[in-house]
Amino acid sequence: MLSRSAQSLYWLGRYLERAGNLSRLLQLQSESLVDRPIREIHFGWNRIYTYVRRDPPGGEIRLFGDEEYALADSFALADDLTFERSNPSSVYSCFALGRENARHTRHCISPEVWTCLNTTYLRLQEQNIASMWQYEPTAFYQGLAADIETFGGLAECTMYHDDRFSFLQLGRQVERAQGAAALLLSQIDTVVASSSQEFHEEDWTSLLRVFYALEVYTHTYSVAVLPDRVMDLLVSDPLLPESLGRSVALIGSEIAAIGNGPYSRSGRALQRLVGRLAAMINYEWPDEEERIPLLREISEGAEELHFLITEAYFDYPIQEPV
Amino acid sequence: MSFENYALDPAIYDEMFLADGSPRPEARILYDSLIELSTADLATIQGRVNRTFSNESISFTVYGDAEAEERIIPVDPIPRVIKAADWRDLSQGLEQRVRALNNFLEDIYGPAKIIADGVIPADMILECPQFRPEMRDFSQPYGVWVAVCGTDIIRVNDGFRVLEDNLRVPSGVSYMIANRKAAKASLPRLYRSAHVQEVEQYGAALQATLRELAPNGKPEPSLALMTPGVYNSAYYEHMFLAREIGAELVEGKDLVVRDRVVYMRTTEGLKQVDVIYRRIDDDFLDPRVFRRDSLLGSPGLIEAARAGNVTLANAPGTGVADDKSVYVYVPDMIRYYLSQEPILKNVETYLCRRPDDLEYTLDNLANLVVKRVGESGGYGMIIGPHATQQERDEYAKEVRENPSDFIAQPVQSFSRAPCLVENGFEPRHVDLRPFILNGLQTRIVPGAFCRVALRRGSLVVNSSQGGGGKDVWVLAE
Repeated sequence: MLSRSAQSLYWLGRYLERAGNLSRLLQLQSESLVDRPIREIHFGWNRIYTYVRRDPPGGEIRLFGDEEYALADSFALADDLTFERSNPSSVYSCFALGRENARHTRHCISPEVWTCLNTTYLRLQEQNIASMWQYEPTAFYQGLAADIETFGGLAECTMYHDDRFSFLQLGRQVERAQGAAALLLSQIDTVVASSSQEFHEEDWTSLLRVFYALEVYTHTYSVAVLPDRVMDLLVSDPLLPESLGRSVALIGSEIAAIGNGPYSRSGRALQRLVGRLAAMINYEWPDEEERIPLLREISEGAEELHFLITEAYFDYPIQEPV
Repeated sequence: MSFENYALDPAIYDEMFLADGSPRPEARILYDSLIELSTADLATIQGRVNRTFSNESISFTVYGDAEAEERIIPVDPIPRVIKAADWRDLSQGLEQRVRALNNFLEDIYGPAKIIADGVIPADMILECPQFRPEMRDFSQPYGVWVAVCGTDIIRVNDGFRVLEDNLRVPSGVSYMIANRKAAKASLPRLYRSAHVQEVEQYGAALQATLRELAPNGKPEPSLALMTPGVYNSAYYEHMFLAREIGAELVEGKDLVVRDRVVYMRTTEGLKQVDVIYRRIDDDFLDPRVFRRDSLLGSPGLIEAARAGNVTLANAPGTGVADDKSVYVYVPDMIRYYLSQEPILKNVETYLCRRPDDLEYTLDNLANLVVKRVGESGGYGMIIGPHATQQERDEYAKEVRENPSDFIAQPVQSFSRAPCLVENGFEPRHVDLRPFILNGLQTRIVPGAFCRVALRRGSLVVNSSQGGGGKDVWVLAE
């Protein structure tokens, strides 16, 4: 298929996945505002900002003691992360960029997928932080996350599973893998950066919930939430839909379906990298004592995937026609 | 809802009513079902249509002061009905006209016999900015320069008139199909009982046409639709048609010309393109031949086409035949090339380059529409009766300075059709743009994009200037 269209589909997948991840984080964060202690709320905001690699408005988050102040500040942070047009990582910006990529390639996605996307976009455009915050912020984020999942489901069942579908899926899975690795590292970095560096079980419980993994964790292990076990589940469990390992496996199968691409040097490098990532997750991770450096290595590899994909299929150097 | 307050004007053809106020026989079924609907029903229908158009984003792009804005095309849910016999005459007339126009283009870029024989003045062609000397001795498969034509037709009391031929990159066909979808959803039972001819085969007809035009009859040619990009006002249509005909939607930067062969950059490497349905103006097509500063085109495209390795549809240079001055000569072309009398009439037109016509135009500016020959989309024109004295004086000055840039036409009392407005039905002026496809054979889908001047009293139907659309029901024989 046309390289530019493939690239737009890939970015469509990435941006929507990113918007969905952030919506999920904000949904849980808005829930925590109802009943969690200030420390935990503080931890949650710091984790999100570390994850999106952005400084919060005003430079840092201060939520000490005063309940009123904490909620008012949360309002400003939620606005920045949800509706702020000038923040390229806000839910709105990611969704709008995803929709713009879809508009470029509307002929490559099914009308059902487009209409789902566009309807959500129109609704999002009409909202602002004041109207959303006043009623049910949790329901708002939950609805948005559900719409984005619906988009994925519609793509799955209304699009022909050729290269178009593969590039869309590839974008989603690359974003998911990068996001999962980034979120785990954000968790670790936020713990390290906190003044006490103490272990708080609830910070890890909330992380499990981001990945829809709390229930399976308590089934598999116990009610005692331990960081190493949490990481095992989120990194290497092949059955957990959003685990890093599963995303890498899906990236591997999409790339196998698409093929090497015209620029075989990058195409082969891409295949090797995916294989290496899978090996790190499946074979090194379980025996590794020093997991954080390995996780950083996996995260870097996931970032590198993007550049190889771009070079292998979209911006390849032109050789003589085949 | 009743038509009690619907104002008829005997001087203006109404698409639904006869002069005595009774419904035309072909519109009877529509009339009967409309009067059964309550105000609330109609509001629901309009709301549903608007929502569908908005959710699907059936849009065009307009350029404001700051940035490009995606705007939903307004649609009126009440269809316009055309009876089978009228359509038959109209489509025969269109076929004849486009055949002559293709002959003209083949001639004018070749031996130019029509000039030698004194039918059309040479200077008119040579001065026309749309005449492309670069295209001389160029040949198109089967002499088809115009593969897709969108002709603007108006209806007056004694029949159809051609207002304009659009031979370059005519747009609007996607709205014809979207409007049909909306009408079917709005008036489903009526649609079934009215026996309307379908239009959704347009995509298949376009695909067949383009395939027929493949270089040297190449079987299974690869098609591409070339767009200036997502900021073009008709991008929605480009996307829509690319899907319909199964073509890749390419921009200039996706194309590579090597050894006079055109390739597109795909995820599997370079792939040859055989037919390009280009929706980008001549000027921007190939910076080596036309505008050098064009970043939208593809260098070497024209050379590849000249070598017969790719077909461009429409061919570059077709604009000379839809120039507003050359338009006056189309009936003569039909007589000259086909030895037939024109089936469709032109609108009476004064060429300001002729001294008598200039004088007449300046004397009667208050009753004429004057247009710049190089402009389109409703720009650069003046509607005499709607303009102030000062506007007319200023315009007259421009006309006097460059008379050959202008043509004048009597204000057309073109037809009106009932449209749904806030308080019921009101007549609005409408035109008609049917699409004529030319490959090995001519194909005309029985339907058209009907443009509506949505503002009361307005004669301007262009979507960029407050126009909208409505469905056209051509009844079965």
